[in-house]
Order: sequence, then C-alpha cells, then structure tokens
Amino acid sequence: MILDGYLMKSIQRMIIIALLVSIGLILHFVESMIPMSFIVPGARLGLANIVSLLALVLYGFKEGLLVLLLRVLLGSFLAGTFMTINFYLSISGGLLSFFAMSLLYYCFKKKFSLIGVSVFGSTFHNIGQLITAYWIINNPGIFYYLPYLVLMAVPTGIGVGLVTYFTSRYLLSGSYRRF
Amino acid sequence: MVMEKLDKYLNRYDKFLIISILLLGILGVLFSAVFFKERAEMVIIIRDAGGKVKRIPLRNTYGEEPFLIPVDGPIGISIVEAYNGRVRMKKAPERDPEMVCEKTGWIDQPGPMIICVPNQIAIWIEKKDAELDGISW
Repeated sequence: MILDGYLMKSIQRMIIIALLVSIGLILHFVESMIPMSFIVPGARLGLANIVSLLALVLYGFKEGLLVLLLRVLLGSFLAGTFMTINFYLSISGGLLSFFAMSLLYYCFKKKFSLIGVSVFGSTFHNIGQLITAYWIINNPGIFYYLPYLVLMAVPTGIGVGLVTYFTSRYLLSGSYRRF
Repeated sequence: MVMEKLDKYLNRYDKFLIISILLLGILGVLFSAVFFKERAEMVIIIRDAGGKVKRIPLRNTYGEEPFLIPVDGPIGISIVEAYNGRVRMKKAPERDPEMVCEKTGWIDQPGPMIICVPNQIAIWIEKKDAELDGISW
C-alpha cells in the first residue's frame, strides 16, 4: 500500500492530536488526585496545560485550540460535569489562558521562552476562572483569592513550561522531526 | 542549585515577566489584607422580643468604661454589657428563673450566642459582610 506524503502527514497529525488529547485527559485526572486546594481554594498544578501548549508549539494555533476544546469537552463528559459550574470554570480558564499564551507566543516569539509563555498562561487561567466564578456566585469577595492564585501560578507555570520545553525540544529534534 | 539550573532556561524577558507577576501578586496580597480586613468587621447584634435589632460595631466597644445597654422584654429590663471587644448579659431581670443568659458569660466571636428565653432576647456577633461561606470547584 502506498500512501502519498500529504496523506501520511495528515494521518500522523490526526494521531498525534488524538494522543495529546488523551494524555491531557489523564494528566487532568492525575492532577485532580493531588490536593492543592488546601493551600489556596481552586489552586491547580495545571498539568493538562502541557498538552495544549505542546500542540500550539508543534502545529499551531488551530490545533492547540482543538486539543484544548476536545480535552475540556471529553473530560467533562467522562466526569459527568458537562454544563455544570466545573465545566464553565474549566473552559473559561482554559480559553483565556490559551489566548494569552498564543498572543505571547506569536507576537513576542523571539523574546519569551516557553517558560515565560506558560507562566503568563497559567496566570490568565486563574483570572479567567475567577471572572467566571464571580459571574456565578456574584460576590466580589471571591477576588480575595486572586493574588494568592497568581502567586501559585508562577511555580506551576514554570514547571509546565519546563516540561513543554523539554518535550518539544525532543520531539522537534533528530529522527523525531516529522511534524 | 535549583535556581542556577532554572537560570539556564530563562531569558531576561522571562525573568522580567515572572518578577512582575510575583510583584503584582504580593501587592495584591498586601492590598487585600488591608481591604478585606476592613470589610470583615465584626458587629454585635442584639435582637429583642419585638424583633427589633440593634447593631453595635465591635470596635466601638473599646474604651475606659463598659457600654451598658438596657433591653426591654416581657419580664423586665435586661442589661447587656459590651466591653473591649466582648459582650455579655450583665444582669437578667429578677423574675428570670434560671438566669441562663447571665451564666453564658462573655462572647467575642461569631458562633456562640447568648439567649434569654424568658425575656426573648438573643445576642450574637457576626461579620459585617457574612455572605461568602465557602467555595469549591
């Protein structure tokens, strides 16, 4: 069987995106088992952010957005939280963080490394979540947590950025350079 | 050691971004510590037999002399005393058989409540802005 180069590439791309989505689902599940909320309510490691950032780096904006949306949708279907508060918080934080990361990645590509992009993204993840939470519970008291969440976002963002940096460097180098 | 290793992967724009986010976070913590403390002010609430409510901010009770508040009820006048951030029932009416409210003693935080059943008086302390109980997601 002979597949031409274009078909081969598009099949490979589809498979990699599917793999990233499933890795994201597992990471999301794993991080929900790590208790962080006792430090600040709502604090997360943001491990699932690795895959959307990775898709953004490997393929581009469209694919990154696709991975993010599929991950959040499938995750909420599996956990049974579709169209509940959890889902809204997750998707609003994810979208805002993804747009912030793309902005930094495309507009200031030469300046910021992936770690800076990731820290920026995780900060905006928290901001997006808190804005949605404010809409839902309608009490400005919730912004009390914002500075603490932002402080937490820096170390977790650095961690996510390092993981993405090493993974993408490996995938884009040597014999793996097929993207 | 960790910092030196991390230093290899960060350029100066990253460092600038991270430091400015950290600074904003610290400023926010300081700001909210001041801003929300004022909002979380405590008030003494005295509710009498007629359902009338008297509110006294807890910080107004500091002074040389204790505040004595007479409260009218079906069996007489009860005297509530507020002093240096605490409140108690100083004197229940003579006709009160058990004087439970007097025996309750001082309260100084939200939670416990002084109740005088015969005279239908309730005294408690609450946060001025006590809407946000808790959140989880």
